[in-house]
Amino acid sequence: MKCESCNKKYATVHLTEIVGNVKKERHLCEECAQGVGTQIAKVPSPTEILTNLINQVAPGISELSKIVCPVCGLSYLEFRSHGRLGCPMDYTVFRKGLIPLLEKMHSSAQHVGKVPSRAGKEMIKKNELMQLRNELNKSIEKEDYERAAELRDKIYELSGDNNENK
Amino acid sequence: MKISDLADNTGEWLRGTGPESDIVISSRIRLARNVAKYPFLSRANVKQKKELEELIRTKIIEADVAPALSYINLSELSSVDRLFLVERHLISREHAEGEKERGVAFEKSENISVMVNEEDHIRIQVIRSGLELRETWKTIDIIDNKLERKINYAYSSQFGYLTACPTNVGTGMRASVMLHLPALGMTHHIEKVFNAVMKLGLVVRGLYGEGTQVSGDLYQISNQFTLGKSEAEIIEIIEGVIPRITSYERIARKALIAESREQLEDRVWRSYGMLKVARMITSEEIMHLLSQVRMGVNLGIINDIEMKTLNELFVLTLPGHLQKLEGRELTSSQRNIIRALYVRKRLEKIETLKG
Repeated sequence: MKCESCNKKYATVHLTEIVGNVKKERHLCEECAQGVGTQIAKVPSPTEILTNLINQVAPGISELSKIVCPVCGLSYLEFRSHGRLGCPMDYTVFRKGLIPLLEKMHSSAQHVGKVPSRAGKEMIKKNELMQLRNELNKSIEKEDYERAAELRDKIYELSGDNNENK
Repeated sequence: MKISDLADNTGEWLRGTGPESDIVISSRIRLARNVAKYPFLSRANVKQKKELEELIRTKIIEADVAPALSYINLSELSSVDRLFLVERHLISREHAEGEKERGVAFEKSENISVMVNEEDHIRIQVIRSGLELRETWKTIDIIDNKLERKINYAYSSQFGYLTACPTNVGTGMRASVMLHLPALGMTHHIEKVFNAVMKLGLVVRGLYGEGTQVSGDLYQISNQFTLGKSEAEIIEIIEGVIPRITSYERIARKALIAESREQLEDRVWRSYGMLKVARMITSEEIMHLLSQVRMGVNLGIINDIEMKTLNELFVLTLPGHLQKLEGRELTSSQRNIIRALYVRKRLEKIETLKG
């Protein structure tokens, strides 16, 4: 069936209007239907529904899926289907997609453990401080104030700031 | 060094010593590390794999990781030899089935092993008998420091040690404890243990890790998360839960005795008898029999067999070991015959010593 309005394209939109007792049917192509200014919203295809959904859940996935690591050549989509990364650089390249994933897996996206001494003393100190602060919070939760005080002193000592909170 | 030299004994971690060793067979920690500026193995070409293998092998030796280290190139080994090393816990199943240049370095006691070109470039492993995770961590930390001085690891301040699979990133550490829990299995309380353990973010696996079936009532409990907690915190979580499981197992054993001592004794003695007289034993069956006898020894029902012997038999009667002992490939029914013969001989030795 051709479109009633332009008579060129196939009619894919079928409208039924009821005015009083009169039922009126119109058969239009998509373009003309939109031009008519009817209230019907465009019905999205199943693929569109799915992509929309994914985008809602993980914003930017469509943009991520285009990313390919310049070092190892792995694409984000390949990673998502195999679950293995291609090179250390991927952690930087796919960072945006990895963070929510890591948070789901490990309930965290920040390393607090061992630091290789090559990475420098500053980083070791930073990590140590982070660990101590974690511990401090825990001991406060447990109401172990003696331990908390000890930890606080250690934190001051390490951060070299003795005036904090005084 | 020849694989067959290892066939008639086992690693030190099967001695059956250390804290809680009646229930805790072993404590194991492994660290995943990768060399900076190289792709992970799934994206590395043949040349890069070769370079990595050579680099890491040389550095392991230079770093003096452990005294009297042996290095075995896996690509030169037969499938039986590789199976043997898996059963020994010196390499993983993935490592055995891998491709191209890869190897393993380990020390004589078999407490320390370093896998080269597994899923990650480097996998360091330390195993000890009994519940000794803290000591195990100390040892592996030192080895890691030694290697780190020679090799530039892939590391980021946000994500920690970078690994091929994001499930290992951060500490790159998997700490696991192998437990023997026959009474909890028998009384169907094991599910409760699993649920409690899962709530802590830990996982339960079979004897040979991921995806392996539970047999011989042996379970491995290990951490799932590797990021966001320090190595010490992860170990603390595991070490905190294990004593609760072991005391639960002991309570279940006591309950079994209280319910019907005769029935339990009968079960244990029948299993022991079967090991001594059977002419064909499948690998499935032997795990079950050994598990029963092991519990019998722990409960003082059987007194003439050492824990070490039993622990060892769990490993020495596996298919790869039997084939190495015989020096040829065996079909599964041939293995069943050899297995029964081997166990009989081992137990007879004890009888003669007694007499």
